[in-house]
Amino acid sequence: MSGIQRFHPAFLVVELVSFVKGVFFIYFFLFVLKAQSNSGWVVWGRYILIACSVWAIVNIFLKWRFHGYEVTERTIVLHEGVFVKTKRTAGLDRVHNQTSNTTFVHKWFGLTSLKLETGTSGDHGEIDFPVITQEEKERILSLVGLQQRETGREEGDEIFEAEAVRTLRFQSKKKDLIRASFTSLSFLAIFPLLSAAYSNLAVFFNLEDGAEGAWDYLVLHWWMLIILFVIALLISSVIGYVRVYLKYGKFTISDDHDKIYIEKGVANVTHFSIPKRNVQAVVVEQSLLKRLLGLASVKLISAGSSELESEETSSLYPFLPKHEAYRIIQDMLPDYEIQEQMGRFPRQVLWAKLLRPYYVTVLSIAGFLIFKPAFLWVSAILFILAVILRVLDYAFTSYIRHGDLIQIRSGALTTETFVTHKRRIQQATVTHSWLQRRFGIATLSFTNRADPTHVSELYGVSREEAGEFYDWYKQKSASS
Amino acid sequence: MNLKPFIPSIRITGEVKDGMYIHIEEPTETISKDAVQMWRLTNTIGHAIALIIIAVLLYCADHFHWYGWVSPVLYTLGGLLILSALYSILLEPVFVQRHWRYRIDEEFIQLKNGKWNTKHVVIPMEKVEYVRTEQGPFLRKYGLYDLEIGTTTSNHTIPAIPQAEAERLKAVIATYAKVRDEEEEAI
Repeated sequence: MSGIQRFHPAFLVVELVSFVKGVFFIYFFLFVLKAQSNSGWVVWGRYILIACSVWAIVNIFLKWRFHGYEVTERTIVLHEGVFVKTKRTAGLDRVHNQTSNTTFVHKWFGLTSLKLETGTSGDHGEIDFPVITQEEKERILSLVGLQQRETGREEGDEIFEAEAVRTLRFQSKKKDLIRASFTSLSFLAIFPLLSAAYSNLAVFFNLEDGAEGAWDYLVLHWWMLIILFVIALLISSVIGYVRVYLKYGKFTISDDHDKIYIEKGVANVTHFSIPKRNVQAVVVEQSLLKRLLGLASVKLISAGSSELESEETSSLYPFLPKHEAYRIIQDMLPDYEIQEQMGRFPRQVLWAKLLRPYYVTVLSIAGFLIFKPAFLWVSAILFILAVILRVLDYAFTSYIRHGDLIQIRSGALTTETFVTHKRRIQQATVTHSWLQRRFGIATLSFTNRADPTHVSELYGVSREEAGEFYDWYKQKSASS
Repeated sequence: MNLKPFIPSIRITGEVKDGMYIHIEEPTETISKDAVQMWRLTNTIGHAIALIIIAVLLYCADHFHWYGWVSPVLYTLGGLLILSALYSILLEPVFVQRHWRYRIDEEFIQLKNGKWNTKHVVIPMEKVEYVRTEQGPFLRKYGLYDLEIGTTTSNHTIPAIPQAEAERLKAVIATYAKVRDEEEEAI
């Protein structure tokens, strides 16, 4: 088909804007906050920063000049490198999932970006088009779809092309956004901002003397303090709401017969889609606060997406009420049935957990004894914290196997419920230590494909259950 | 060992006959007995080199008047190293060799090792990506090979297998994994 294509000139603007966004705070810090400073590292930091910036900007131009791509029916060939040229070929049928992100800058030019994740881990796992026209994106995606359908057909998968009807599963409403902005605690962001503003102003206006007077005044008129506090809280709530709105507004989850689509954002529009057959596992995460409010965040683990990134993209709406989250998963992925009732492990597991060595405490004792004996009490606090965490960990850890699914929950402060299919497990391990044998328990662990590899480990399964798990994994599931 | 005085509610199961702690069909193939000799040799050489380095550093510390805390640290390290040498030359090779088991059939690779921390691993054949044999100078001396099995998510090494057996296993795994791979594509 067509020869090597260069990126749209808007590539320069997009890259420059993202570069400026990246270094803005470093500049702000070195040239504004530390404007008065003459210390060596600040001065040198400024020179180095300027040198790096110049290089980065030149590099953006060079990249635009020399990078390009070629799309054929079966593959995408990427031409990369300024001085050392590389040519990367990726098969379209290898694409696991795709993300398309439209920032403000993209919008001005009527463009968008596209990222295709292939199953390979490592640096070269993804194919990135930082700037691309809508038509070009559609063309590439349709080629990917075609290719995947073809391989699907060869593999004997049932594919109903006519059934490409999208079902809307979730759409964020105002209520959801308010809940989200509250849960993300963004209303607390005002306090660091205020204190930062205060300490900066203090340098310029010598506020300290005046402030004491102001403080005395405020103590006398305490109602004023309350009003100020409420106003600050309101302002930060509004800011928090706007931020959440920009990020999670217009959040929709939908699916058709073989794919799941997630769209989100008002300013930055992100489209993400993943074929259902590429979902390796489902993770439900609940922080302490979310648990109190009955919310949960659900993530889809796939071989392509890195776990760090999935926080941003492949996660379903992070502030869903737990039951709704479970229902959506159930509807979209009938294979993944999440059980809500999970039993606790027997009490002796708690004793076993508490008897495990306290490495951090021991290390801190050794460290303090050598360097700062006066701070030895910190070790006691660390020890108490470790015990509390272990008790919590015991309380929240559980495990269920039903049919070909395995579901484990672990974590002390943030709990993670991990559900996967026997077929998706890459290997299973059962270990038991000397201590565990005294308590009749074992540890089981298994790995799933993700980038990096996702390892699930569960301490404290009874030895009978560990044996059954091992046999369960060795029995071929009916569907494979 | 009795923990009852401390925690009354504990149910102590005690150690069941070693090896059958968990009821699973255990792998039976063992690794070569020569491994003990080989590990003794390599561990001796490794520890000897480390001890020589420490001795040289001690000499330097004394001769060039390095900081006062250097010598005690080096002596401690040396002491630990001697203890570790005793363990890893006299005891460890025997334990490792005695407790390594593996089993390779059409569907699974099963590995078991460790005396105090026992570990059972099961890898389905279709997840195997590559298999290779490896031999360093010491393995060559005893005519042994390490067999490395790489999967989609990790890799495992079965140490010290006699040459003929290693070659056979490599071929067997390669064949099974290949056959499986084609079936797996359909999933």
